[in-house]
Amino acid sequence: MATPPPLRRVAALLLLLVAAASTPTARADLVVTRADRKVDLTSHIVRVLTSLKVENSGPEAVSQFLLAFPNVQAKNLAAIRAFGTEEKVKGPSMVLPIEVVQPSGVPPELTFFSASLSKPLEKGKTLHLDVLTVFTHSVQPFPEEITQAESQLVVYQDSAQYLSPYPVKVQTLSIRLPGGRVESYTKYPNTKLAESELKYGPYEDLPPFSYSPMVVHYENNNPFAVAKEVIREIEISHWGNVQITEHYNIAHGGAKLKGEFSRIDYQSRPYIRGVSSFRHLIARLPPRAHSIYYRDEIGNISTSHLWSDSKKTQLEVEPRFPLFGGWQTTFTIGYGLPLQDFVFNSDGKRFLNITFGSPVEEILIEKLIVKVVLPEGSKDIDISVPFPTKQEQEVKYSHLDISGRPVVVLEKLDVIPEHNLYFQVYYRFNNISLLREPMMLITGFFLLFMACIVYMRTDMSISKNSPSYLAKVQWDEVQSIIQQIQAIFNQCLAAHDKLETSLHELSRSGDVKSCKVARKTADAQFKELAKELKPLLTSLQSSSQSYQIWPKVEELVAKERELQDKLMTRHSTVVDSFEKKLRGQDVENRIAAQQQKVAALRQEVESLLEYISEI
Amino acid sequence: MAAKAISSPVPVDWYPTLAVVMVAVGLMFTASFFIYEATSSRRNRSLAKEIATATIASVFLGFGSLFVLLASGVYV
Repeated sequence: MATPPPLRRVAALLLLLVAAASTPTARADLVVTRADRKVDLTSHIVRVLTSLKVENSGPEAVSQFLLAFPNVQAKNLAAIRAFGTEEKVKGPSMVLPIEVVQPSGVPPELTFFSASLSKPLEKGKTLHLDVLTVFTHSVQPFPEEITQAESQLVVYQDSAQYLSPYPVKVQTLSIRLPGGRVESYTKYPNTKLAESELKYGPYEDLPPFSYSPMVVHYENNNPFAVAKEVIREIEISHWGNVQITEHYNIAHGGAKLKGEFSRIDYQSRPYIRGVSSFRHLIARLPPRAHSIYYRDEIGNISTSHLWSDSKKTQLEVEPRFPLFGGWQTTFTIGYGLPLQDFVFNSDGKRFLNITFGSPVEEILIEKLIVKVVLPEGSKDIDISVPFPTKQEQEVKYSHLDISGRPVVVLEKLDVIPEHNLYFQVYYRFNNISLLREPMMLITGFFLLFMACIVYMRTDMSISKNSPSYLAKVQWDEVQSIIQQIQAIFNQCLAAHDKLETSLHELSRSGDVKSCKVARKTADAQFKELAKELKPLLTSLQSSSQSYQIWPKVEELVAKERELQDKLMTRHSTVVDSFEKKLRGQDVENRIAAQQQKVAALRQEVESLLEYISEI
Repeated sequence: MAAKAISSPVPVDWYPTLAVVMVAVGLMFTASFFIYEATSSRRNRSLAKEIATATIASVFLGFGSLFVLLASGVYV
């Protein structure tokens, strides 16, 4: 097997480090009494957990601890976190702030990070420090091209000894491999490979800047999901929804596929002929996610599965084809979340509290763009992200917008699952602004109605004195008169009904007085109506368009008058009889004939009215 | 100070019902508006009555269509 090319680089680095180690440093006060490193190589994102026991052997208190990384490693460093515990191992641990520093008198091939201790470490005291470092692009495929049937072999390089500016008394290194074949590894004294764990050490009493390169070449077929770019859009609607849309451009970041792809081979024995590929991704969405979709440019992708419980929603998406090394695919995931889970109110300001990264497991995102679309009318926007990001603002126009929605754009390179931390976007929003959209809809509909009203009222004819136009105008006039006449007759009929009910009242209670009052008001009303009717009738008669309808109207007037007369006489008769205290039977007899006539007339009047209204 | 969760002014579960009811009422008023426009003659049409019906109809249709949008997942 050939030596992997990066080894040469490491050898060069080693020479430099030996030179560096001989330079005296002023940082010898601290001694690392124990360093245990655990390297997790099961996926393509390398996680190194370093547990350090630090003792201050110098006379002065020390308030910062330096961490050193070779530049080749430091440029792939995606996240670094340090937790400190004083004295006891199981005490409460504190997150220590970390910054890049450049101490004097150190080789430029190293990058230094300084962890500020929460309180200075006194002479003779011990501190427990846990440092989690996450590296991307550190696992290199070797060979770089493989065929469909081959397994993917990768190379990882590190130092078998802990690189530190302080002397290290005891140290161990254990590397967890994904299982499967181990092609080769650097052998030092005290090196042991058991199951899928590679152990180096313990090594004792090593000077500062000790470095001995180690390489492990092993099989790793876990998905190397690398997203070239992810755009994550979070849109807040105060009508009760946080809509998330994520656009992915995912590639297999492992060894490239050599030769051709055989679908038959893949289909018949996918775990042998295509072992280096991956066919699905798992996204852990927040609980109560709804309206989930998975699609790309040409439409819905039906190969997805969803499980949900009260703690999470798990979505398994399967791209349209299995991804081999170097292949890529694009797709979009979208889902809605309930507003009350993510948007809160504090001190009159509202804020969105949501995780930053993508919900897809073990994915490396080379460029993540998070866009937070705030509702229209949001002001005083403030962002709080737990790590540095590029920030800008833009405006998005969406449904029913006038001035557009303010958008906060956050951009970060090399995002790993460790960056799935909560971030906050603070803004001010008045609930009145919620009514903007309905007001717009209402105005729209109202304008439509207004247009109808205007259309019905405008006269669109071109020639104002053509005979047909004149006839139409006259006919309109006739129609309006007839409608008024109709209204009057309807009032008349209502008055008739009132008289009738007064008679009923009388027969029930014998109250002659109120009956007479009803009669009087009816009389007055009839007079009034007759007065109103008169000019209408004259104008109708004079109109040339009314020749058809006029006889009917005349008939109507006559019949109504007759009906009115009959009613009045009947009314007087009944009242009379009551005053004379005649027996009910006699009264009935006296009005029986009138009753029939009244009913017949009423019917005639009603049918005439109907006939007129139908013209 | 403790942060208070913000929820929608109207419970989300009501949106479909509200959409149906408000659109139905709105369409009824729209119908009465157009019936009035078509049947009353040009001379004795009352502008006040027309505007009143149009306003009520557009308020109901406006909110109704908003709730139709919300119920169908278009969160405006």
